[in-house]
Amino acid sequence: MNPTPLLQVTDLQVAFSQEKIEVQAVRGASLTIYPGQTVAIVGESGSGKSTTAHAIIGLLPGTGRVTGGSILFDGQEIANADKKKILAVRGSEIGLVPQDPMSNLNPLIRVGKQIAEALEVNGVATGKEADRRVVELLEEAGLPDAARRAQQYPHEFSGGMRQRALIAMGLAARPKLLIADEPTSALDVTVQKQILDHLDRLTDELGVAVLLITHDLGLAAERADHLVVMYKGQVVESGPALEILQDRLDDYSKRLIASAPSLASQRLLAQNRTHIREAAQEVAEETADEVAAAGSEFGRGKETIIEVKNLTKVFTIPGGAPWDKNEFTAVDDISFKLRRGTTMAIVGESGSGKSTVANMVLDLLKPTSGVVEFDGVDVSTLKGKHQQLAFRRQMQPVFQNPYASLDPQYSIFRSVEEPLRTHAIGSKSEREAKVRELLDKVSLPWSVARRYPSELSGGQRQRVAVARALALEPEAVILDEAVSALDVLVQAQILKLLADLQAELGLSYLFITHDLAVVRQIADEVLVMEKGKMVERGSVDSVFVNPEQEYTRRLLDAIPGGTIELSS
Amino acid sequence: MPESPIALPGQERFVAAVEETPLADTGSFDDTGSPENQWQEAWKQLRSNWLFWVSAAILSVVTIVVCFPQLFTDIDPTYADLSRSLDGPSKGHIAGFDKQGYDVFARTIYGARASVLVGLFATLVVTLPGVLLGAFAGFYGGITDTLVSRIADIFFAIPLLLGALVGISVINNLWPNRGYWASIFTVVFALAAFGWPQVVRIARGSVLEVKNLEFVNAARAIGKTRRANLWGHVVPNSMSAVIVLATVSLGVYIVAEATLSFLGLGLPPGVVSWGNDLAAAQVQVRSGIRLGVMFWPATALAITSLGFILLGDAISDALDSKSRNRE
Amino acid sequence: MWWYLGRRVLQAIPVLLGSTLLIYAMVFAIPGDPIAALFGDKPVSATVKAQLESQYNLDKPFIVQWLLFLGNALHGDFGMTYSGRPVSEVLAEVIPVTFKLAVMALIIEAFFGIIAGFYAGLKRGKLFDSTMLIVSLLVIAVPIFVFGFVMQLIFGVKLGIAPIVVGSDPSIPDLIVPALVLGLVSFAYVLRLTRTSVVDNLTGDHVRTARAKGLSDGQVNRRHVLRNSLIPVVTYLGADLGALMAGAIVTEGIFNINGVGNLAFQAVRKGETATIVSVVTVMVFIYIVMSLLVDLLYAWLDPRIRYA
Repeated sequence: MNPTPLLQVTDLQVAFSQEKIEVQAVRGASLTIYPGQTVAIVGESGSGKSTTAHAIIGLLPGTGRVTGGSILFDGQEIANADKKKILAVRGSEIGLVPQDPMSNLNPLIRVGKQIAEALEVNGVATGKEADRRVVELLEEAGLPDAARRAQQYPHEFSGGMRQRALIAMGLAARPKLLIADEPTSALDVTVQKQILDHLDRLTDELGVAVLLITHDLGLAAERADHLVVMYKGQVVESGPALEILQDRLDDYSKRLIASAPSLASQRLLAQNRTHIREAAQEVAEETADEVAAAGSEFGRGKETIIEVKNLTKVFTIPGGAPWDKNEFTAVDDISFKLRRGTTMAIVGESGSGKSTVANMVLDLLKPTSGVVEFDGVDVSTLKGKHQQLAFRRQMQPVFQNPYASLDPQYSIFRSVEEPLRTHAIGSKSEREAKVRELLDKVSLPWSVARRYPSELSGGQRQRVAVARALALEPEAVILDEAVSALDVLVQAQILKLLADLQAELGLSYLFITHDLAVVRQIADEVLVMEKGKMVERGSVDSVFVNPEQEYTRRLLDAIPGGTIELSS
Repeated sequence: MPESPIALPGQERFVAAVEETPLADTGSFDDTGSPENQWQEAWKQLRSNWLFWVSAAILSVVTIVVCFPQLFTDIDPTYADLSRSLDGPSKGHIAGFDKQGYDVFARTIYGARASVLVGLFATLVVTLPGVLLGAFAGFYGGITDTLVSRIADIFFAIPLLLGALVGISVINNLWPNRGYWASIFTVVFALAAFGWPQVVRIARGSVLEVKNLEFVNAARAIGKTRRANLWGHVVPNSMSAVIVLATVSLGVYIVAEATLSFLGLGLPPGVVSWGNDLAAAQVQVRSGIRLGVMFWPATALAITSLGFILLGDAISDALDSKSRNRE
Repeated sequence: MWWYLGRRVLQAIPVLLGSTLLIYAMVFAIPGDPIAALFGDKPVSATVKAQLESQYNLDKPFIVQWLLFLGNALHGDFGMTYSGRPVSEVLAEVIPVTFKLAVMALIIEAFFGIIAGFYAGLKRGKLFDSTMLIVSLLVIAVPIFVFGFVMQLIFGVKLGIAPIVVGSDPSIPDLIVPALVLGLVSFAYVLRLTRTSVVDNLTGDHVRTARAKGLSDGQVNRRHVLRNSLIPVVTYLGADLGALMAGAIVTEGIFNINGVGNLAFQAVRKGETATIVSVVTVMVFIYIVMSLLVDLLYAWLDPRIRYA
């Protein structure tokens, strides 16, 4: 005798009207959830996964409407239901844990009161009874010191604490189904794991079904029994999680799985890494010889292209009182060497100081103490415009945010040409030829050159940023979270591009990231940072297989989907 | 991870047919249409806003009136015929005459010039230096910022009209018989002196936001000097808010001049301006007779300043939706 | 929070000093005879001239002049009007009247502005919203004295329900029409500000979370949208006092209300610059203090500052 499904979505159609045109966001999506199950919808941005989830409780933003299909919850049709019915369902039958913990709590109301509201409105408890219950709920969600915290305001909580409060709010009225919309993507990886583990336990205890929305295939595979993969508004594959990962029938899912850095099959790609590194080092050696032979005033042609010794940065932050100055050590005694033609990754969670290190290496920020040496020359000793410009030519950055890394008023051509103009290299036609070459190297068509950043996608903009970084033919490229803001498939493309360029041009990369899984794919050496200090440093193979420090082990453990074994 | 259970109804293995879900090339972009930067996008947005066209129509008419008043009337606005004092509308004089016997319509047409010029010059005098100061203060920070901000605070603390009042009052006493241009510039500088802090604040705020964006850092990493960065990258991207403010201010300054004239502290009585006409028409309103004398300049004034304010509003909307569409 | 407040108070002091210095300098630091600056070409009797000279300490260096002026001001001594009465005495009479008027204007503009703005924002794009936007633009585009006259005409002359001129000890009903006129422009700004705030908040994430809990639209609007939208409006209302004071000059002039504004108005009419300086100084003083109070209120209302 089969159990009855709790939620049955059949052939759902959702459309948004944008300036009189209707845009289909979801086209015929179907999924089923049974009581107590965890089902995950996986997809990239624009896949329609969040839209589907919001359509279920009638919370489509702006002009969105359900234009077709049915949503059966507990036997009742709730698609386009009347206000009364949907209000009755929200909170008490279906709960929501939204994505961004900062913006999802009302900054002007105490946290406890906001959770009490959920109890009140759904007829569970009011007044003093509600307050008592709120403290219980917060404790249940894993928030320490719950009684005191309930009286505080959202801005006094950390990101992880806010997410726990949101979980408490979602479960407050004991719904049968909890929709968790990317519940941890705004959080650090170790915190993510804690919260998701907790959520799993809690929902198991309470028998609550979970609809998990995520872009992370590894995470979905780890936490869900049943997967639904969406692409451009349609369901492309669905079934038991493990089957999908192992059988890999659909094209899109295949690509997703192949690109997802966290899945263990990436161990295979590590072999490719060796090829790339060897090719790069060969080219780099030649360059080094040239540099040494040329006796350039900048650069000695050493094997270690960047060396950082005891780098420290202390910020003084004004405290509450004007004479109160707090000292904050962002970077504490970091040392490492980057060899020519290799990639070194600096890994850490938010607040670890990794970006500060990058800025000091780039000489965009002066260290409090310690030395940054580029090709044997101490960067702080550079004097005069000539030397500074020579240095700039050798080391270039690629930053994280594709939407802010290009001047929106400059055409793509102008953005890529800018470094050449600043250094007065070549004539106008020579520069144009160079820009052509660069765009070609990053696999962008020449027609992109006259366009503006707002007309390109995130991945395309990052390619332009890479092209711009290569304009001066640097020897080293500093990539500060350069792929973190991109969808998984796009991310994979950019990483491949970077690897190819490295092999071709003999580039040395310093790769800053919070994503350990990516590190496995692309780096040779890794430096793990926590709160400004160096935790562990070594070759990628040794650190991943035999981590020495507790913190490193925790980071590795926290990689979602890292433990899943996939057949080749 | 459990082994594959027997799938429950609705959860069987499903794979969509390939034709239904073609994978888009992730490198593709829409190469149709001409390239558009943010200003062009904003312009498109502007064009589709009907209020923009209303304001454009108003301002075009106003410009013609200011430059070529002769096209609209051939009556001399400075010729007064006392015998026709307060006569109603008649042939050739559609607005009738005011108390001193001036033709109301002619004065309304010719009055545009002084009023609009005051607004225009006040805006220019305030905006150009204001943007420079705000940009330097925001970009270089430190002492420059503290100094500029404190001084701006001090001026800001004195409400526009009050400050202009004291200033003009003093100048009137010291320098009673100024010429046409001197009078206009007295009002202009009095208004500008107390209007500049607002421009500086807005410009400074914009610059503060922009200067930490990544493309500015990227330009530094390329080797661009701070100064080249300021003018090449930071300032052009900080202009949106200033443009809106300048446009709206034009309208506000025109109204302010009228208010000053009403108080007797605007342009001297000899100058033909809407403010002066309105001030002279007070008696009419009090008694309720011949309201047309006030109606004509008041309506002209309102429509003109409305034109600028509408334009500012429309520009603000166009620029705002551009930033909202950007993900 | 206390450090925030302390810093604000400390910031206000140099502003206070600076602005009084500025006003004073505008009159007395200009090259030329300061007496001429105060009187123009009107005849000055020798006694008044001597009295002014000693009052303003014109024989002393400029900075000393200013400090003495400031010192006197803090004691409430603003010198004499041109007709011989102590300015401080006159001020004591007129300030309460203007205070009444300004408070009424503030209440009218805040009450109607917030409510209209709230509903305009909720029903964005609909008829009410479009109408309100156009009304607000018109109000900003027309000079305040035109409104004053029109109101005077309609309510005073034609309809006869309100006094045309208000006289010396006005009662609250007498002041309704002037308060309306005074608050009109600010009402437009409050409306627009509230509307923008409401529209922003409606699309905010925390509103969606509130709905997900099961709150009805009305509950969401009241508890989560309204409160959050009010904070920028409170800040604006504080800064608005300056505009109100300037506007009071015109309004009190038109309706002949015996307040501070009218004092300034008459002084301007008669070219009595010295009185203008004193009155403007007092007004600026009040404005700065009021702004500070509003800042304190804002700090108390926004928990992000109160519990920083």
